[in-house]
Amino acid sequence: MNLTRGAQGLLTDNLSLEDALPTRMPVYVNSVVYLFGVTALSALAALIVTGVVMSLFGPGWYHESRGGHFVNSLHFWSVQVFFGALVLHIATKYMMAAWRDGRWKTWMVGALAFGVAVFTGLTGFLSQTNWDSQWIAVQAKDAMNALGVGALFNTMDTGQVLTLHVVALPLLLVLLVGVHLLFIRREGPVKPLER
Amino acid sequence: MSKRTDAYFRNVPMKPYDLLREGLIVLVVVTVVVVVLAAVFSSPDYPTVRGEDVAKRQPLAFLKTSANILAGNSSIQDYGPPYTPDTDNAQSLFGIAPAGWFGVTDRIDPPQDFILKPLARVAVLNGDVAKALHTYETASPSQQQAWLTAYLSALDEATVVSGEVQVPPGDYGPVPTLMNGMLDLGRSGLLEGALENDATLPYTLDFTRSLLFFQDDVYAGVADKLDLLGDEWGISNETGRYPGAWWLWPYTFFYQIPPMSSSDNADLQVGAIITGVFLVLLLVPLIPMVNRLPRWLGVFRLIWRDWYAGSDGSRREAGG
Repeated sequence: MNLTRGAQGLLTDNLSLEDALPTRMPVYVNSVVYLFGVTALSALAALIVTGVVMSLFGPGWYHESRGGHFVNSLHFWSVQVFFGALVLHIATKYMMAAWRDGRWKTWMVGALAFGVAVFTGLTGFLSQTNWDSQWIAVQAKDAMNALGVGALFNTMDTGQVLTLHVVALPLLLVLLVGVHLLFIRREGPVKPLER
Repeated sequence: MSKRTDAYFRNVPMKPYDLLREGLIVLVVVTVVVVVLAAVFSSPDYPTVRGEDVAKRQPLAFLKTSANILAGNSSIQDYGPPYTPDTDNAQSLFGIAPAGWFGVTDRIDPPQDFILKPLARVAVLNGDVAKALHTYETASPSQQQAWLTAYLSALDEATVVSGEVQVPPGDYGPVPTLMNGMLDLGRSGLLEGALENDATLPYTLDFTRSLLFFQDDVYAGVADKLDLLGDEWGISNETGRYPGAWWLWPYTFFYQIPPMSSSDNADLQVGAIITGVFLVLLLVPLIPMVNRLPRWLGVFRLIWRDWYAGSDGSRREAGG
């Protein structure tokens, strides 16, 4: 069995170069709602870039340096834009019943990515090492303990929270977003509903 | 195009498109928006509440917190797993209490871990505290409680003069010396270090004990002033006039309504509801009615209005 030929066949059947990087689009793709996803993706890119910059200097940097505080501000507002675009993206895709014609996998992976994003956001608030972190840690620990996950995830363990926020969860999120995008490009935009 | 998309878009009119150009334009716009928002509005960074701050600014609150912990009145005293073995206070729903599934994984004895062990460190430097600690530890439990009860009552009458707490005379045994030892520890800025007493010092990254120390009245008092309490939508708020984690509003909403608003099991109840809500979101394509709702709501007619109108004014129909 030739694995390379098999992979070529898989791509030919499912994801051509034109699918991955399209130069043509159905004419019904003509609404601002098609921009919410790419807006969320752009904000995610901004989050990763600003997050990497902050990770170079450590979690205490932004408390002491004006430059660090500005990068933290960029990170903070990127989060707001990210979730704003994401909520609009989910709401409008729901209104379009965008899971039709076999796109249920795209929807479900997207929903999982949203769940991971929310948890990543929580670990971000916990990693701020300021009053918000203190208060959210002692409040959220009750929810985690009640749900039985307190033994695995301790909101007051800054080491665990920080590494989750800067390594494990972003990797998982990027992986899920990557699969989501792969499905989107593989399937193309769903046709409009019958009126 | 691939065989799959060739088949799907057969007979669908296409238009020229540039994915990368569109993506780059959106990326630039988002970047500019974020930079402008950051430059104009900055970001919240309310400073931490440290033991030193509480000891210096609110010495009475510090002493009440310490004495209550030593008297066994801390909310962690009988919290249940993962801190204590008793499960009476573990939240349950339909007889199921997930809190106990993993048992006690981070055992905490508040009087010992929060007060007596830190005081043993103070005792190395302060002979009076060493004597008081010995007196306290060799007294009977009933005697200890009698001293503490009297001292806690006296703290209600105490006054603060020039930063010093003045307690009315009474029989408190060694407790005032011990509590003043804790206050000195707090004022010195060494409280947190003394609380995080484990083998990985000085590389401790786990602040469980120092965060739990003040969580009851001190943190709650600060949160109250900042409108961050649970009945004020709690952790979805942000300090100051900044937007917080507003995407958690559906989660915090359920804490505001009965029966969760007054339930001892609210965290578990809300957690179960939100898990259910998330499962519905995840399984939208498969859930009858939920997956038909968009057709009845009709918002799609607005989104695809150009398509339905057609470039030549004729109506078009498509998909499923």
